[in-house]
Amino acid sequence: MHVEASSFAPTELRAGRMSATEDAHVHDRLIEAVALSRDREAFAALFEHFAPRLKAWLMKSGASASAAEDFAQDAMLTVWRKADLFDARKARAATWIFTIARNRRLDMLRRDARALPTPEIHLAGDDVSRPDDILMQSDDSQRVREALGRLKPDQIEVLRLAFFMDNPHSEIARRLDLPLGTVKSRIRNAMRKLRAILESSEEASR
Amino acid sequence: MTPARNPSEDRLLAYAAGTLSPPEAVVVAAHLALRPANQAWVKQLQAVGGEFLEMTPPSPLSDEALPRAMARIETDAGEARPSAPLNDMAELPAPLRRYALGPWRWIGPGIRVRDVHAPRDGDCRVILLRIDPGRETPRHTHGGVELTCVLSGAYATETERFDRGDLEEADGDVLHQPRVVSDEPCLCVVALDGQIQLDGWLGRVMQPFVRL
Repeated sequence: MHVEASSFAPTELRAGRMSATEDAHVHDRLIEAVALSRDREAFAALFEHFAPRLKAWLMKSGASASAAEDFAQDAMLTVWRKADLFDARKARAATWIFTIARNRRLDMLRRDARALPTPEIHLAGDDVSRPDDILMQSDDSQRVREALGRLKPDQIEVLRLAFFMDNPHSEIARRLDLPLGTVKSRIRNAMRKLRAILESSEEASR
Repeated sequence: MTPARNPSEDRLLAYAAGTLSPPEAVVVAAHLALRPANQAWVKQLQAVGGEFLEMTPPSPLSDEALPRAMARIETDAGEARPSAPLNDMAELPAPLRRYALGPWRWIGPGIRVRDVHAPRDGDCRVILLRIDPGRETPRHTHGGVELTCVLSGAYATETERFDRGDLEEADGDVLHQPRVVSDEPCLCVVALDGQIQLDGWLGRVMQPFVRL
């Protein structure tokens, strides 16, 4: 299990941004095709793009290859089931699929067997949003991508690890060989900076 | 953005990433329902997660992965689990309405508690706490983390006031004696880890009767 520090470099983020912008629309259309006509080919294309990334995510958090693959399978089955709730104006494909996986992951962390709902995040569908919410959320992905580009590489690194690890603080501290307190303050500072950038870009767009 | 009375940034991040313990996630979900600005921030964090997912170098799947997925969607009968019925407290924010609730129990003068049948995590579980105006809870410390979100009314600790939607994070070091300062009773949802250790003479008298 390893995460190369170099993969967090800003150049890579910029390169990722280009392809992510193009891909995001392609994947939006594929989810819509699954919703509209239960399009199997579209689903297969989504599966081939996202399932290996979902697997990689879970493996980074410490899951075995087979458990991570089962997780990716289950998350993609949920994509098939819930495709009609997808709304590209509210969330791009990657965000929507990330959120589905997030809800599943929280489900997995439950240590009791009773069938109880876990608190889900809803990005579309049964959300009661005010009109300005919809406007505000419409280009979150673009704004978030730009904001990430303005963070320092070590801030992106720590945020990215925090998203992927099950016990982020201690695992990041061990991985980066930093004291726990440093990891916590680095996460906090990165979050504050990201939020400040996003808030000022919202202001600017009004 | 007030740092106090809001979840810490790393707790919000853990919530967005799906790594927060389920009882804490229930309390944070209630807080977000009452704080649209933080709700919007969590949705932006979902977009950050989507971005990171997109940037993740893919891990090759086994050969049978795609055929298996295609076979599953052909035979899929949909979600097996119907959504749970709404509980009897219409005043609760939406994320709490689908959990069954235990009976109200008296735990001290003007203090009642009710279990929320949300997922537990070891000793950590979710309760509703209702305290009458002017009442203090017995002075207490905690074995573990306590996360409290005010759903109605208000309480004050030695240093701060907490109103509807405010969230308080307390750990084992905090000596706690909240007092209700609203005219109406104060209703809170709490993720409680470990046993409350009551302190002082009242605590010693009450301890045998209190099963929080």
